[in-house]
Amino acid sequence: MEEILKVENLTKSFKLSRRQQKSEQTDLTVKVAVDGLSFSAYRGEIFGLLGPNGAGKTTTLRMLATLIKPDGGDAFIDGKSIISDEQAVRGKIGFLTSELKLEDFFTPDYLFGFFSELYGVDRTVRDNRKRILFSKFGIDRFAHVKLANLSTGMKQKVSLVISIVHDPDFIIFDEPTNGLDVLTAKVVTDFLQELKSQGKTIILSTHIFSLVEKLCDRVGIIIDGKLVALDTLENLTREQSIEDAFFALYERTARGSI
Amino acid sequence: MKNVLTIIKKEFARFFKDKRMIVTVLLPGLLIYLVYSVMGAVFSDSGKTDANYKYSAYVVNAPANEQFLNAFNSVSEIKEFASVDEAKKSVAEGKLDIVVVFPENFDAVLDGNSSAVPNVEVYYNSSAEKSVGGYMAVTAILEAFKDPAFSINSGGSFDLVEERDAAGKILSSIMPLLMFALLSSGCIAVAPESIAGEKERGTMATMLITPVKRWQIALGKIISLTCFALLSGISSFVGVILSLPKLLGGMVGSSAAAFYGVGDYFMIFGLIISVVLVIISAFSVMSALSKSVKEAGTMITPLMMVIILMGVGSMFLSGGSVGLYAIPLLGSGLAMSAIMSFTASPLGVALAIISNVAVTAALVALLSFMFKSERIMFNK
Repeated sequence: MEEILKVENLTKSFKLSRRQQKSEQTDLTVKVAVDGLSFSAYRGEIFGLLGPNGAGKTTTLRMLATLIKPDGGDAFIDGKSIISDEQAVRGKIGFLTSELKLEDFFTPDYLFGFFSELYGVDRTVRDNRKRILFSKFGIDRFAHVKLANLSTGMKQKVSLVISIVHDPDFIIFDEPTNGLDVLTAKVVTDFLQELKSQGKTIILSTHIFSLVEKLCDRVGIIIDGKLVALDTLENLTREQSIEDAFFALYERTARGSI
Repeated sequence: MKNVLTIIKKEFARFFKDKRMIVTVLLPGLLIYLVYSVMGAVFSDSGKTDANYKYSAYVVNAPANEQFLNAFNSVSEIKEFASVDEAKKSVAEGKLDIVVVFPENFDAVLDGNSSAVPNVEVYYNSSAEKSVGGYMAVTAILEAFKDPAFSINSGGSFDLVEERDAAGKILSSIMPLLMFALLSSGCIAVAPESIAGEKERGTMATMLITPVKRWQIALGKIISLTCFALLSGISSFVGVILSLPKLLGGMVGSSAAAFYGVGDYFMIFGLIISVVLVIISAFSVMSALSKSVKEAGTMITPLMMVIILMGVGSMFLSGGSVGLYAIPLLGSGLAMSAIMSFTASPLGVALAIISNVAVTAALVALLSFMFKSERIMFNK
């Protein structure tokens, strides 16, 4: 298997403001969000990062997407460091999070063109790709309608399409089905499987167990910034469901036995 | 009533917990104090010149009364001209301060041996500070000798100011302030939405994960924001120039704009662009520091007041040393004032523009650094 992602001892801490200390009811001035994370992902697999809210999943993905810098460690995507070669990494990855939103004043057609230019996609390639993706997601009928007038599901489809305008081999999805209705969520999950079949590597962060069971080849369970389990879905679910496996790990972590 | 009080209490609690809001509300008072103090100090000095300065004067029918002459000569220095008209022309051109035309046999009036009430004519140029000072000094002396009676500047117009200079004086005092106010309002309309708005909506991150360099995003934003603000500024400027004749009534004539040459407009345009660059860069920095459009508006408002204060300051500091032109924004106000009053030097204007461009470059570098700072861009 070809290793496309190598994460080595990734660490990230955040200073807590007084307000944050108050809201988190802690006297600590620094919060360790990610604590020495190491794992790899291979070409053509869907790797799931599973964990509760605040576990460090989003921070990990943001570091991989070069949005924020790690305090320690490094990660290499297709051999390029997220620290020393961030421009090259940005050209190789696609990143979609439910937190990312597109501007309401623009149409899907305009945004596809705009982001294609930022990624340096050739015009002919762009037009062809737009035609295929817009048709697949049913966006073609709304290509010239402002996002403000589209449904939440359609907006999320547009976001998904925009995140892969440059046809990246490595795609990061942070809670991609959050807030979506069941029909749109199915379109998204089906597309993830299709991307996998095309040989793309997908890092999927979620707290939805069914999504992990349906899509992931391997799973890393992250609790309090630490990777407490890393195995194939098959091994993790040999004796119990992924949900039971997760809660068992969670309780052991809380007791301090991990 | 209890419910109303509960709501009032909650609103007060919210207000006093927001330090920025308190500053924004209280800052105008502080600024008004500063502005009025500066204006007061300047007004108290207006019309005053160097104590040893003697106003240049051309006198017709100078009286021989020793007491009067001593008083007159203590403030003025007599100059010779071939004719009254030539002297008046010199006053209009700012080369001579005043022309005083006494009636014939004014000595008889001063000695109280005349039953007539003659008129003393004091010609001056209201656009020239020294001429106004000379007019005030001479009329003060005349007033002291006004018993028995004679009139001063009765009937007719004795202000020899040229239409162009009158328009220039008025424009030079209002344009810097107008420029700063209009350009600031143009910038405040676009800057918060473009950066803080994108942060608030989460659309900024979508751009930051593309291979485009952060400084390119910062510069792209500033250039486009500058264009929008510039459009607003230029449209306001053209509006002011075109509406000025109406504003000034018959004083200025058909068009104030006609008094200024291509070179003047070129300098004005350069100043406007450089001022917009500074303002939009500064607002963009504030916007990038903010988490939301609302917060950006709150943070920009005090800065806008300071910028307008620069416009007020330039109204009173005109005629100062060239070094003042190197102060960003203030120098532009002074340069604008000088252009309007036809006294601009290319060096002063160039200094003002260069200082603005230098500050803009520093602010763009800062903004680019801020775009790289995860603490600033992703702090929620």
